[in-house]
Amino acid sequence: MTINIIINGKKIEAQAGQTILQAAKEHDLHIPTLCYHKDLSPTGNCRMCVVEVKGGRFLQAACVTPVWEGMDIQTDSEKVVKDRRLTLQLMLANHTANCACCDVSNECELQELVYEYQAETPAWGTKGTRYKVDSDPNPFIHVDMNKCILCRRCVQACAEIQVRDVWGVAYRGFQEQIVAGAGTTLLEARCESCGQCVAYCPTGALSTKINYGQGMARAHQVTKVTTTCSYCGVGCQFDLVVKRGKVIGVASNPNSPVNGMALCVKGRFGYDYIHHPDRLTKPKVRRYLLEGGEKLKTNRKSEIANPKLEWVETDWDTALNITAKKLGEARDYFGSDSIGILTSAKCLNEENYLMNKLARQVIGTNNIDHCARL
Amino acid sequence: MTNKKIKYNPISPEVLEIAEEHHHTSEAVLEVLKELQDRHGVLSRETITDTARALDLPANRAFGMATFYSMLSLEERRNILRVCDGPVCWLKKAGVADWKEKAAPGWTVERTSCLGLCDHAPAVLVNDEQAGPVTTDEAQKVCEGWRGVPTEYSQVRKGETRVMTALIGKIDPDSIEDALANGVYDGLKSALQKTPQQVYEEVEASGLQGRGGAGFPVGRKWKFVASEKRTPRYIVCNADESEPLIFKDRVLIDTNPHQLLEGITIGGYACGASDAWIYIRGEYEYQARRLERAIEQVEAKNLLGKNILGTSFSFNIHVHRGAGAYICGEETALLESLEGKRGEPRLRPPYPPTYGFRGQPTAVNNVESFCAVPHIVKNGAEWWRNLTDDPTPGTKVYMILGQVNKPGLFEAPFGLTLRQVIEEFGGGMIPGSTFNFALCGGAAGTIVPPALMDSHIDYSSGPLKGVTRDIKAMEKRWTQVISMGAGAFLICDQNVSPVAFLRELLHFFAAESCGKCTPCRVGTWHSLEILDRMAEGKGVKGDTEELKMLAALMQDSSFCGLGQSVAIPMKSALAHFGAEFAKAETAEALPVLR
Repeated sequence: MTINIIINGKKIEAQAGQTILQAAKEHDLHIPTLCYHKDLSPTGNCRMCVVEVKGGRFLQAACVTPVWEGMDIQTDSEKVVKDRRLTLQLMLANHTANCACCDVSNECELQELVYEYQAETPAWGTKGTRYKVDSDPNPFIHVDMNKCILCRRCVQACAEIQVRDVWGVAYRGFQEQIVAGAGTTLLEARCESCGQCVAYCPTGALSTKINYGQGMARAHQVTKVTTTCSYCGVGCQFDLVVKRGKVIGVASNPNSPVNGMALCVKGRFGYDYIHHPDRLTKPKVRRYLLEGGEKLKTNRKSEIANPKLEWVETDWDTALNITAKKLGEARDYFGSDSIGILTSAKCLNEENYLMNKLARQVIGTNNIDHCARL
Repeated sequence: MTNKKIKYNPISPEVLEIAEEHHHTSEAVLEVLKELQDRHGVLSRETITDTARALDLPANRAFGMATFYSMLSLEERRNILRVCDGPVCWLKKAGVADWKEKAAPGWTVERTSCLGLCDHAPAVLVNDEQAGPVTTDEAQKVCEGWRGVPTEYSQVRKGETRVMTALIGKIDPDSIEDALANGVYDGLKSALQKTPQQVYEEVEASGLQGRGGAGFPVGRKWKFVASEKRTPRYIVCNADESEPLIFKDRVLIDTNPHQLLEGITIGGYACGASDAWIYIRGEYEYQARRLERAIEQVEAKNLLGKNILGTSFSFNIHVHRGAGAYICGEETALLESLEGKRGEPRLRPPYPPTYGFRGQPTAVNNVESFCAVPHIVKNGAEWWRNLTDDPTPGTKVYMILGQVNKPGLFEAPFGLTLRQVIEEFGGGMIPGSTFNFALCGGAAGTIVPPALMDSHIDYSSGPLKGVTRDIKAMEKRWTQVISMGAGAFLICDQNVSPVAFLRELLHFFAAESCGKCTPCRVGTWHSLEILDRMAEGKGVKGDTEELKMLAALMQDSSFCGLGQSVAIPMKSALAHFGAEFAKAETAEALPVLR
């Protein structure tokens, strides 16, 4: 059902059941938000999106207030702007005032709003650190609750997206804080280190530990390359953050069709293989296969010392020829079912299909399986 | 990579046993934690985690509860003396520090927000026993079992019209026979002769307004609930009387619990409800037990339970104890707490009549509202309206406290002025005292100067006919009209500084803010910081201006009624006593401790 509302004097059409924020967004009218995120259920905590509704006694939070016929809304009246600025100052009063050193500076939603509203840190605020910096031993997630503004997006991301319920809200009033489980460490509270909370945190309270300080968020220093995760067949997309030709991290890409902002621990934090010195970039074969001669009997301990068993780099044709020849020999000598093939989730569907052909038609065995089934 | 292995620990048998008693429902998390707290005097992280697992909850939920409610603690405390830190006890110079010094060894002393024992001030809670008036000189005696002399209300004051308080002192509150002999439950009997619709229409016709402070018409609320098609529907009685100055519900329960049960049952009949919960604050353990005894007696008489008095109407009442949180008096926070969550207010709309307890249609009403209902049903709406000439019909239980000769509780029709309350009912100011200001309504009420002594007291924020929705007019009302609130008046004389007094109120709000929204969470805390230094004589220029800004922000932008109403005492104090606040900003300011 279409209803008519007025925003800033402009008549617009909205759908019944929509919130003020949704209606405004559809018409490209900007209302600032902080605790609101489109993927999470709105809570109306932070009070940044307050707007003035004609006839109302109090300001209304646009993210949770439904529209009604004839509603007359002011999104930027003097009173609204004043209140938003003061609310921001109250947040800053309890927030480490050192943006220059902050890992998320530039991508921080609080910072953007503080700039937009020119809300200076009040003289009475930020009297010192209340919590330990990097307070959690989780290997991937950097926790600094001094920067937390208690928007609760992390709590919701954990509960609604990952359905893991690690983060929660504890204590009350000014002492309120975000805790993991019964006030323990993340891992003890069953955290699986997916980093959803990091992706949804609007400030630097939760950030990535493995690339902390490398400038992930400094947009002018990095380029982002959207790619598909190579770990499994789900096909999650994300942005690789590249700085001076090197991948320094992974950032959620909200436009990913499959996964949205969500990623698993491997996709989000397991990118270090890209520049790892042990990574294979060319095929390698044992020296005796390349140069001929017998494979000398050896035990594992002396393997490295045995020059015949050394890995030598070669080209693809040679490597594949050797593999084909050996597979053929094994099949002919021991029978087809002596060979088994295990394929990888890192391969494409098409590649997996070809491996299936290879196993069943070329080698002649049904011994084929896939790592995702294990 | 971490090498830490997470060991599997079975849930402790004790926790499992308690969880079993509560059928492992997640709603029971507060009860289970309270039970464990009582047994061990402390909640360890392991116990909290075990509780969560036994009730199939994430650990953070149980931990959030354990740290939210002030009666639960992560630190060991046995033999606990909770010293009331409310404004009335503050006026009577009760101090936590003094108690700490003078209490017997082995006792833990801690502050607590108002205990609802304002008529016994200065008051303390000794484990779960209420004591007052007791001074620090009697600390040893209190530790040994002395509980003070409770106030008595059987004496009717001149000018009182007693309806809800009519049976005070005339019946034994623990005897159903006494109650029945005095006509309690006649209202229920006559309600059961009518249709539910007739009952709520009668209540609506009487014009009974909710007595919690907002003044919403009770009959209309019941009509909303009754007209919801979904079942089951529920009744919730708000007995979480945590507002400083207010103790009427405690007295009503203590003197005549059956009247309340009767009112709730009539409400249940009118709304077509199956169950009711009385959410009573944890500090009222004594009253909770009294209600439980009364419920047992009524069930035995078939006035509650299955097929009440042979009709097809079946109804049960349960008592649910809170654990120390003012915010749980806000109806949606109360429902959250009843569902086993942190007492944080919900988004409104939807309102409880459509989406209440467990998401079902629910009528939430105050104790006093329910207590008035039997009399209306028994005597008719017309009779209730004729009790007063005032536009607001019926009587109200008022509380008068502070520097008057006869503090306490009385019942009178609407239409009083502050002067009448002090002179006629309060017995005048005590010798040597002149009226300086009064806090009216409750902690979130208005601070009233002598100039408004003759103003009419009413539900200023209630949806009364003729009340304008115009913001400027509302603003004016907030500073010029005396808010009825829950009907309490704290009278302060010339020796009480409005600055120090406002500091006490903010101290309360900062301690009780739930922390959900930014304006209230940081706003109350920072206002207290400013008022602290002003009261110490260290105010700086601009403090008053900053207080005004914070009050405006909290009023406009807070999530719920708590934050919005903190502004009422702030704004009225600043409007009427601007000179005192201005003085506190200057270098010549002296500390004002009281």
